[in-house]
Amino acid sequence: MGDELRVDSGALIFATLADVYISSGMIDEAISILQDGLARNPNYYLAKVMLGRAYYLKGEFDKSVATLEAIYDEIKEDETANICLGHSYLKLGDNEKAVRFYEAALKINAENTEARQALEKLVPGFAAKHDVEPAKPSEEKPEIAEPSEVIHEVVLPDETGAPTGEVVLSTEPSEAIREVVLPSEPEEEVSVSSVQEETADSFIQEIPEKPIETGTVPLESLDKPVGRLMSLDSVKSVFIATKDGLLIKNYGKGENDVEAICASVAGICLDVDEAFRLLKRGGLTRCIIEKPDETICVMVVGDSLLTVITKVETKPGLVFVYARKIIEEIEEILG
Amino acid sequence: MKLENFIKIPKVLGAGLVSEDGFIIEGRATYEYDTERLGAIAARVVHRIKNSFGMEGASAIIYTKENVLFLKEVEQGIVFVICQKDANVGLVKIRLNKIA
Repeated sequence: MGDELRVDSGALIFATLADVYISSGMIDEAISILQDGLARNPNYYLAKVMLGRAYYLKGEFDKSVATLEAIYDEIKEDETANICLGHSYLKLGDNEKAVRFYEAALKINAENTEARQALEKLVPGFAAKHDVEPAKPSEEKPEIAEPSEVIHEVVLPDETGAPTGEVVLSTEPSEAIREVVLPSEPEEEVSVSSVQEETADSFIQEIPEKPIETGTVPLESLDKPVGRLMSLDSVKSVFIATKDGLLIKNYGKGENDVEAICASVAGICLDVDEAFRLLKRGGLTRCIIEKPDETICVMVVGDSLLTVITKVETKPGLVFVYARKIIEEIEEILG
Repeated sequence: MKLENFIKIPKVLGAGLVSEDGFIIEGRATYEYDTERLGAIAARVVHRIKNSFGMEGASAIIYTKENVLFLKEVEQGIVFVICQKDANVGLVKIRLNKIA
């Protein structure tokens, strides 16, 4: 199946396959198929973001940075891209840039825990400031930080080095501020500045090396419309698969063997499609399979199949109406 | 089984009853549609559904760009009805359920 999709990279489905490869830990394969697909579709920015993430996961941080920075103007409002850049710069030792991209991610989504945790470690006083002022969703379009200047929020320490709770804004890193404020204590063997440096190093080392969540990235915008469909009492599960039966995303409640249903539905659809094409009556667009205990509604969306499993009493027409929005979104994402 | 019940519905293009192996028992269709081919498709799809989901009495509605094909497994074989996309599919469905 991988080979078939590899040939059909012009249809942009290569990004979906690459996402599956990344989810499965097959990073080299993902990079290979993304490079191949991007050679044919160089302006497919979602795939470039995935490639940058794949490089990061492989440990090639410089390539990750190069890939994402090259198209940053186009992806600056992509939360995942900013996080990935932040992680990569952190690994490359450029904490200042890492902070900038984490802050950009946090501006896009104030609830991003990955960015928040990283900033708490990298920017002293960040946690204290945000405890006092919880992040408010900005009504204006978030402005992405420019690389030329970074404003640091620094908690002023008292004489013993303990935080006072007083916060100042500065373009200087926190270590510099602390060195100015804290009195020198020559009688101590270890200087405050060296303690601060050690603390900063330990903070950096303590940042969890969490892999980027890959399962929800390309189709995460579907969560909301699919959620509306799933909120119908009679809908049991929703899933998206390729036409050859490979599961792309499952929103099911775990009652069905989704992979088996994917394969069965794909087989049936392929049969019907071929038969009707022989009759020269056009291909399959949607299909309703009525089982004694449930109804399976299948909709063809480009090279994918959207399958909705409902209770017997559900009206398929209603399902199709709700699914229309999802179909548009899937077409937009998968091409 | 009275196929007239389906044929009389506006924009219904054909209907028939085929055996499980796809041979036509009874069928009527407009000149554009070959009942034997439709019967073969019906038998193949129903066979596939039965095998895939391990159930008897398979039933399916298949939408293509131009047509809607109804399939239903009954005691005597497999009933199929093909109509235009803008036909009264609800009425076809009700009549199909009645013959079960």
